[in-house]
Amino acid sequence: MKLRIIWGLILGLLLTVNSLAKGSADFYFQKGNESYLTENYADAIQQYESVLANGFESSELYYNLGNAYYKIGRLGKSILNYERALKRSPKDKNIQFNLRLANLRVKDRIDIPPEFFLFRWHRALVQAFSISGWAWLMTLIFLVTCGLVVIQLVLNPVKLQRYLRRAAITGLVISALVLGLLLERQHLENSHSYAIILSPSTQSLAAPQSGSTELFIVHEGTKVRVLDRDVDWLKVELIDGKQGWITTRDLEII
Amino acid sequence: MKLAIRFLIIGLLTGWQLSWAEEITVQAAVDRNVINLDDVLTFTVTIEGTSDFPNVPAPESEGFIILSGPSQSSNIEIINGEMSASKQVQWRLAPTHAGQQSIPPVKIVYRRKVYQTEPITVIVNPAPQTAQPVPGSPATPAPPITTTARDLFLKANVAKSTVYKGEELLVSFELYYQNVRTYSPQKLPDAKGFWMEQFPEDRTPIVENVVMNGVAYKKATIRRLALFPTTTGELIIDPMVITCEVLVPRQRRRSMFDDFFNDSFFSDPFFSDTKTVEVRSESVSVRVLELPVQGRPKSFNGAVGSYVIESRIDTLQTRQDQALTLRYTVSGSGNINTIQLPALNLPANVELFEPSVKRTINNKGRSIRGAVAYEYVLITRSSGALQIPPLPFSFFNPASRRYQTSTAAGFNVTVKPADEKLAAQGAGFRKEEISLLGSDIRFIVRDNPNWQRIGTSVLSSFWFWLINSLLLLLIMGSVVFRWWANKLATNSIFARRWRAFNRAQDWIKAAQEQAGQSAAVFSSCDRALSGFIADRLGLPTSGIGPKEIQRALQEQQVDPELIERVNQVLNELEQRRFLPGEVTESESQNLINEITELIDRLIKVI
Repeated sequence: MKLRIIWGLILGLLLTVNSLAKGSADFYFQKGNESYLTENYADAIQQYESVLANGFESSELYYNLGNAYYKIGRLGKSILNYERALKRSPKDKNIQFNLRLANLRVKDRIDIPPEFFLFRWHRALVQAFSISGWAWLMTLIFLVTCGLVVIQLVLNPVKLQRYLRRAAITGLVISALVLGLLLERQHLENSHSYAIILSPSTQSLAAPQSGSTELFIVHEGTKVRVLDRDVDWLKVELIDGKQGWITTRDLEII
Repeated sequence: MKLAIRFLIIGLLTGWQLSWAEEITVQAAVDRNVINLDDVLTFTVTIEGTSDFPNVPAPESEGFIILSGPSQSSNIEIINGEMSASKQVQWRLAPTHAGQQSIPPVKIVYRRKVYQTEPITVIVNPAPQTAQPVPGSPATPAPPITTTARDLFLKANVAKSTVYKGEELLVSFELYYQNVRTYSPQKLPDAKGFWMEQFPEDRTPIVENVVMNGVAYKKATIRRLALFPTTTGELIIDPMVITCEVLVPRQRRRSMFDDFFNDSFFSDPFFSDTKTVEVRSESVSVRVLELPVQGRPKSFNGAVGSYVIESRIDTLQTRQDQALTLRYTVSGSGNINTIQLPALNLPANVELFEPSVKRTINNKGRSIRGAVAYEYVLITRSSGALQIPPLPFSFFNPASRRYQTSTAAGFNVTVKPADEKLAAQGAGFRKEEISLLGSDIRFIVRDNPNWQRIGTSVLSSFWFWLINSLLLLLIMGSVVFRWWANKLATNSIFARRWRAFNRAQDWIKAAQEQAGQSAAVFSSCDRALSGFIADRLGLPTSGIGPKEIQRALQEQQVDPELIERVNQVLNELEQRRFLPGEVTESESQNLINEITELIDRLIKVI
């Protein structure tokens, strides 16, 4: 009896702490929004960043943070946060628009080589849902499939048996495909394979040590792919395929 | 044998060498042993006895400094096959202070042997009063002897004594001398209040013969300067200082300095001694006038001299957003370094970048000339006609004492609209991107979002895994169920085994209901037990007796005690079934209990 009360208290405490923490995230988010409305962007950034410091994130937060950074002219930080927002809500039109606008101000205009259409479609498909989107879609399809399987095997209705079997197999295949897409999306997000240049301009070197041959210069806001890491140097690749080493001080991984 | 030859060769070589390794003699000498402080001493080291002259180090004496040297001469004579060789090395030394000074021995190394000269003592008398150094002359390690004597002087020659502010003032320094071998500049005049430009130094100036105050001089212009006054009032040009090496006769005393230049001896080539003399010019005072206010144009910017301004443009036809280069060049004589071009007066739609300014100064001529070029880069931000107005440049011409204005031509540039394709290429934007550029970002989200803990994802969520694993279990369960149902329907042995217990229970139930009818009870009990065992072991249902059952159970390696009990019960049932007589309720209940217990035990082993 006593034990049950203690357990109940602990559970209640956990729930309260959790809701309190979420409440503080809401509080700072709203304070940030107020600062943004009064065009006090530096303060807004501080409020939004304190939500992140409290351990909470959301695509809306990253989007607002990107806006605030955009307003004070920190293009690199702005693009970084838009990219983080888009990663969580890939279909959000507002994020897409603002990111596009910010990217127009980036000095490096690297021509993207045309991609093979199948790859393009595939990428668009993977990015159609966020991780949780894919996860719950998979669960839903799996649930339906499961229902079909149970009806077919347990109730075993003679008349519908053939159709049910086909439907159940199709459902299983689709579930597996969606699971594949989910894992791919998960890999895309968690591989941390892209970074944004934050310093106004930085040199890309041939080797991970200062003083080695300078290959090219990239400017603030440019998106690069991270290939390798050596202590505080990152080997990056531009969209057009150029590769070089950049110090971690000058960029941040999305 | 070989060794002997080797020794022979070595012996010959050393013998030959020895024959040449004669003793040499080294001697040191000075031309005088008693000198004045302002005299110059010649120190000579002579080596005799070899033609392979060793190096002679310089004398090291605290009482003397080396003015020049070493100068070397050698003499080789061969008389009747006998060679005699001598070498002389000379330095000119000047005493640093009066008293008894010594020149220590000079050490000469020849064929690993050290030869020394004798030390020499020289008595230095204090300098006569006439040649005292001018006070304030720089204290150099070799204090030069300063002279203001009329036989050697430096004259600062200013072109004008009154100049305007910013006007070029030419100053030339002329050396009047009679017997100077070389000179070297020590200090240019300090000209406070002036901007100074130097004309290149002529190392071999043209020498003129002039007569001044009845004395014949040689005159050389050794330095020319252009001074531009930057303030007004009385300004002083400080003296210029040079040092000269003056030729003096040997064995002569300074006391005779005044008249020896007039001596016929003067032209004698025997004059080979020199003396270093510091010469300074007189200070010169110049009056600097303010530029007249009258007639000063608006565009006047402080330029003094004589100038011409010219303008050039790279094209008269351009497109919007394309760069134009506009060049203004001011050239002429005057202080080019201070020239500033007035600001350009251009329309507001023109973006003007900071100009690059290049100054070139020509100091090769009689006065300072040069040019300053301003290169502007401008970009028109709209199409149409662009008017670049003429640019006036005003300056004060000291020659005519008037302000003058030179005007650079203006231009009419036609600006065509920006080529769309060109613009897109140039800036790297597509058309829809350009329209986007003008717009602002979309507004922030104001509703509280669905917060997620950083670093968590749905893949680490409890519900996701719970739901999906339950679904997976459900599917697996359904598959197992279908397999079981199918087997039950198609495999009779499996079906009998699966249903054996239930059927036995049915018979036991029947036996309980048939209490009192002894034959029926025994029959039901027999069917329950033997039927159960037959179903479990897949034995035929009919024609099966206790013996077959006993054998089958033994094959299954069932506990013999259990087999014995089963056998006992089955035999008893067999006998009692066909014996008349009633069975009591408790008896039949005991029987049923025993059978139930046996079935419970059997189901665990078969």
